Amino acid sequence: MSEIVLKAEHVSRAFTMGKREIQALSDLNLQVNKGEFVAIMGPSGSGKTTLLNALGCLDKPSNGRVILDEVDVSRLPEKELYKIRRDKIGFIFQTFNLLPYLNAVENVELPMENMKKPKTEKRKKARELLELVGLAGREEHRPQKLSAGEQQRVAIARAMANDPAIILADEPTGNLDTKNKYEIVRLLANLNTERGTTIVMVTHDSHVASRTERMLLLEDGKITKEKQGTHVVKRASGKTKQNGQENVVTREEP
Amino acid sequence: MGALTRAVRNLSRRKMRASLVIIALGFSMAIMISIPAGIVANQASTQSLAENFDSTITNMQEEINKTSTLIECQTSSGSNMFPGRPSDMTPWGPGQEAFINETVVDEIRSIEGVKDVVPFLETSSNETTSETMTGPGGRNFTISRPLYTITGVCLNSSFIDNYSILPTNITAGRTLREGDSGVLLMSSNLTDYFGVGVDDEVEINGKSFTVIGVYEQTGQGRIETRTVYMNISDARATTGLEGNSSTLDVYAENTSDVDGITEVIEATYSELRVTTYKDRLSQLQNMQTMYNETLTNAQSTLSQTQAIATQEIVVAVVATSLIILFFMLYTVRERTKEIGTLKAIGFSNWNVMSQFMLEGMLLSLIAGVVGIAIGSVGAPVLSGLLLPSINPFSSSDRLQPNFPSVNPVAQGVGIATAVPDLQLMLLALVTAVLPGALGSLYPAWRASRTRPAEAMRYE
Repeated sequence: MSEIVLKAEHVSRAFTMGKREIQALSDLNLQVNKGEFVAIMGPSGSGKTTLLNALGCLDKPSNGRVILDEVDVSRLPEKELYKIRRDKIGFIFQTFNLLPYLNAVENVELPMENMKKPKTEKRKKARELLELVGLAGREEHRPQKLSAGEQQRVAIARAMANDPAIILADEPTGNLDTKNKYEIVRLLANLNTERGTTIVMVTHDSHVASRTERMLLLEDGKITKEKQGTHVVKRASGKTKQNGQENVVTREEP
Repeated sequence: MGALTRAVRNLSRRKMRASLVIIALGFSMAIMISIPAGIVANQASTQSLAENFDSTITNMQEEINKTSTLIECQTSSGSNMFPGRPSDMTPWGPGQEAFINETVVDEIRSIEGVKDVVPFLETSSNETTSETMTGPGGRNFTISRPLYTITGVCLNSSFIDNYSILPTNITAGRTLREGDSGVLLMSSNLTDYFGVGVDDEVEINGKSFTVIGVYEQTGQGRIETRTVYMNISDARATTGLEGNSSTLDVYAENTSDVDGITEVIEATYSELRVTTYKDRLSQLQNMQTMYNETLTNAQSTLSQTQAIATQEIVVAVVATSLIILFFMLYTVRERTKEIGTLKAIGFSNWNVMSQFMLEGMLLSLIAGVVGIAIGSVGAPVLSGLLLPSINPFSSSDRLQPNFPSVNPVAQGVGIATAVPDLQLMLLALVTAVLPGALGSLYPAWRASRTRPAEAMRYE
């Protein structure tokens, strides 16, 4: 039995917009094992980002629990949560979210800001990570001097700065051209296979998703389909696994 | 990669905007700096005024103590108290003055208890000078006054040795001695005026004299400025006042004899104005009272000024803080996504808060430097604009330049000029951080409350 890194139990998240209540996640269950590379797919408004926020401690679920590395993070106060975000989670964003006034290596150092480590050690670590993502020699470049693909590599290096238990990626290829898109996915896949990094990636790109070992389909705040390798598992509410043969079909977002 | 470096980079990222805010803040800071500078200057001027007063009083007290046996006898019209008179009055000349003849001198010398009688002949030069002065109420008037005073001194060596009858601060040549004739001792402003030096010839009332020494006028006591000292016999010959004196310094054997001698002189010679140490003491007391009034005036003006200054500084601090508040709020709003990202990757609320506090304080500090630059150039102007001027002499018409003993004090002090010193600048720099901290407190707190999910915002 492989070790469970991340577990969502009956997670719900409702937003009120004016008088309307929107149920972004409803009674969602999810489990990610150590060393897995999981893709979460789903159409626009299916709750992908909400789910990622809940898993990454950026937001608290209205109901249910999120257990990360055996800690129930959905009940932790903010002053504990930042440590979880810092130590256990690495975030990769669609828009890279690098600080424009810092160069590559400084951006990678950011998550180590309040870690009690000597400066030189932080710098060494950041350089190693940049080398790992293929940016050796580009350490001193600021984001605007880097291509989109290179920027996302910096972001990946940054996500790995504190050796997190899990990397959460929100549409990491959404702002990239085809060539860069595959390179980034390949990089993530390599990190997963070679370093055993656990990755949960939200995407609506089936080609990108097909590079993962497990795909989850999110619809209306619930996981409706799961595909493990070549197996598609339908998970209609309450019902247990059903075997299927065809790929999970998703609609491309307009 | 510290928070400070990030703060610096962030400010330099939008140079134009930061510069504009810094300039605006700089002016605000300059006001904050100039006002204390003005206050300090005013305090210093009041302080030096008080010190000058004190030293004047002390000097006079010493002088009075030294001359406790001295009884000054002057002819009542021969007063040198008010050397100026309106030009429409008859000009100065020996004809207007009364003098004391040798008989009187001998009689006084024979009064019991009298030790010495030192005669002087003080008279005005024939040459006159006119000047326009502004009196109280802004009224201009022209006065004509003798160019200088001729003082004939009895050059008896025992007088010269025992009594202070000649100027002491000789700057060139030598002082007068017993037996000197045809020579004179001249004040340095007069040698400047005549363009002469030691051993040069100078004409006094038509007679030629050699300058034997030059003294620096102190402007204090009885040693008048613009005076030529010569042998009394020369002075008499020059002015045609043979056998006459204008002033007698009568020295009693003991202080206890003074009253008796004074009584006899006053009873016998009603035309003589007699001054003893008692008169001088009461004069001193009057002067002290007047000084105290002046100081009280200056101090009350100072405390009013301080009250105004406090208000103005509060306004400046508030204004500065508000500028920083709005600037930082704007920055925080603009950088919501960045802040969200920082929180998403593990920054604590405190990390974020301190980051923005640091930025605000840094901004404020730079503005402080700019403010000091503006302030060090513009402090006198700014403090002049913002504070009521302290000039104790404007509040008291009694302290006019004619008052001989106050005049030099007034010149020494003048009107306070605000010049910020290094200490004040450093203090200003430290306090400059205050509005920065104050103004960025709320924006930084807002920033720290940013939800990490803001990182996901797509713009």
